[in-house]
Amino acid sequence: MSLDFSAPAHASAGPASLDIVGGRRAFIKALGLGVAGTAVMGTVGSTQASAQALTDTDILNFALNLEYLGSEFYLRASTGSGLSDAEVSGSVGTLGPVSGGRQVPFETRYLANFANELAVDERAHLNTLRGSLGSAAIARPQIDLGAAFTFAARGAGLIGPNDTFDAFANENNFLLSAFIFEDVCVTALTGAAPLLQSKEILSVAAGFLGVEAYQAGAIRTFLTSRGFFQQAGLISAARGKLDGVGSDDQGISDGATVNISPTDVDGLAFARTPQEVLRIAYLNPQGTPNGFFPMGVNGTIR
Amino acid sequence: MPADIFHLPEGQNSSGRLPGPADLGAARRVFFQSVAMGLAGAAVIGAGTKASAQAAGISDVDIFNFALNLEYLEAEFYQRAAFGRGLQPGDIEGTGTLGMVDGGKQVQFADANIGKYAVEIANDELAHVRLLRRALGSNAVARPAIDLGFSFTLAARAAGLVGPNDTFDAFGSDMNFLLAAFIFEDVGVTAYKGAAPLISDPANLSGAARILAVEGYHAGAVRTLLYANGFYQQTQAISDARDSLDGSSDLDQGIGDANTSNIVPSDASGQVFGRTPQEVLNIVYLNPNTQPTGFFPNGLNGTLR
Repeated sequence: MSLDFSAPAHASAGPASLDIVGGRRAFIKALGLGVAGTAVMGTVGSTQASAQALTDTDILNFALNLEYLGSEFYLRASTGSGLSDAEVSGSVGTLGPVSGGRQVPFETRYLANFANELAVDERAHLNTLRGSLGSAAIARPQIDLGAAFTFAARGAGLIGPNDTFDAFANENNFLLSAFIFEDVCVTALTGAAPLLQSKEILSVAAGFLGVEAYQAGAIRTFLTSRGFFQQAGLISAARGKLDGVGSDDQGISDGATVNISPTDVDGLAFARTPQEVLRIAYLNPQGTPNGFFPMGVNGTIR
Repeated sequence: MPADIFHLPEGQNSSGRLPGPADLGAARRVFFQSVAMGLAGAAVIGAGTKASAQAAGISDVDIFNFALNLEYLEAEFYQRAAFGRGLQPGDIEGTGTLGMVDGGKQVQFADANIGKYAVEIANDELAHVRLLRRALGSNAVARPAIDLGFSFTLAARAAGLVGPNDTFDAFGSDMNFLLAAFIFEDVGVTAYKGAAPLISDPANLSGAARILAVEGYHAGAVRTLLYANGFYQQTQAISDARDSLDGSSDLDQGIGDANTSNIVPSDASGQVFGRTPQEVLNIVYLNPNTQPTGFFPNGLNGTLR
């Protein structure tokens, strides 16, 4: 029996209103320049990834790309080193290098602890997926943890159009950078879960989803406690603009209220298709490989 | 010890006031005794029809009604803590026996920011109740009887948060509120995680996954606030109590210590834990025998109970 989870007729409640128009405009402008000035690989071959055509292996490999990104980011931020060679190889796709990233000089002990925890969890996801996929596992694609953050921060209006944003310079920049990813990983898994055929794999995906939601809830709580309402609003607005879907992203509100869990009017977290996720990770609304994955992700969904 | 020791300035903790492992064991024994006594003196509705809750034969309606019972509990807890009022007529009727809610009041938050989290979670949980009721339609269960008073004292005694003769007022302070929220939050996540592969219809699965995520956000926020305030031992004690109640499997974790955080409870594969309906019931009933008592004095409504 299929229950009715469709939204009621009344309008959805959006996030608190912030002045994001200027930031969005700058974002689009920066993206346009960026894509035009880059040799873009893989555009012609990019798949539309319709839900019906996807296998569980396709979906797990898509998730593995995101775990490579998350693992490299958090491992470098917490320890200064990334994944080992044995954790990045694969017979599918092209193994790529990682540019940027270094140990963050944390000033707050519990944040340094949490960065370590994030790295351990992401690495566990990665190794679970690689183990599950076996020889079908993709190699780590090329990952940019340097200019991509500046590109994202300019796009969101966090910094001026000629400024740079160093995600690893201090713990506040680290938190904002983590925020760029975390909600996206949640929406990627909520979107993917109903597409999985295997109940065993679904159970694992639900287990990962729970972890990503805890992580995202923690990051949003840290940002709230530090009063980064406007910055989080700008990043959220940029993600919402990039993915091409309205009303599927929320900041942490304005301080008069808090908004730890981004939800629709029914109290449901949002969900994204792989394409929508890629537009954010690629930092352009056309889904052209760029941004955090300069050569695109590996696998059939790309 | 008085319950208000949990109201602490940021950055301190009361670890020196907590009982050691031996005391915790004693508190557990007292707890199970008191629960057993309570059962002996009460007419337990539905105890004979207790479901073993195996995957076979469970419909999506059964699963979402089970979830609705838990959402009633969370909504009543957070609505009362945030606003001083519970669910209203129109949000509580349905199949089974409509029950009353005992206890609960608006928390006088010393830190207004904690109150804002309470408001947000209260709104989300109300939305979940309404969504599930709408999705279930005429199949939706009524709100069962819910105890938000003495059940928290029983839970806190079992965990060793208070002495065997002390009371714990979940609504008495900011930190008591957070610890009380902590009792529920991870349980909700594990319930949805355990239920996900049992759901038959992919459309229903999407709704469950998206609620699971929201419960994870909530739980992550609660654990972060507890961690930043150094409540390592209290949360470990509650986690141990949950783990003792639910059965033999290790399905629970505290928030770590000053050297290592564990804001995300997860296994070696990087997954949150999953619980069967029966394991969830053992926790909310506050006894390892799935006898209706604790937060649901008359048991849940619906087929999984």
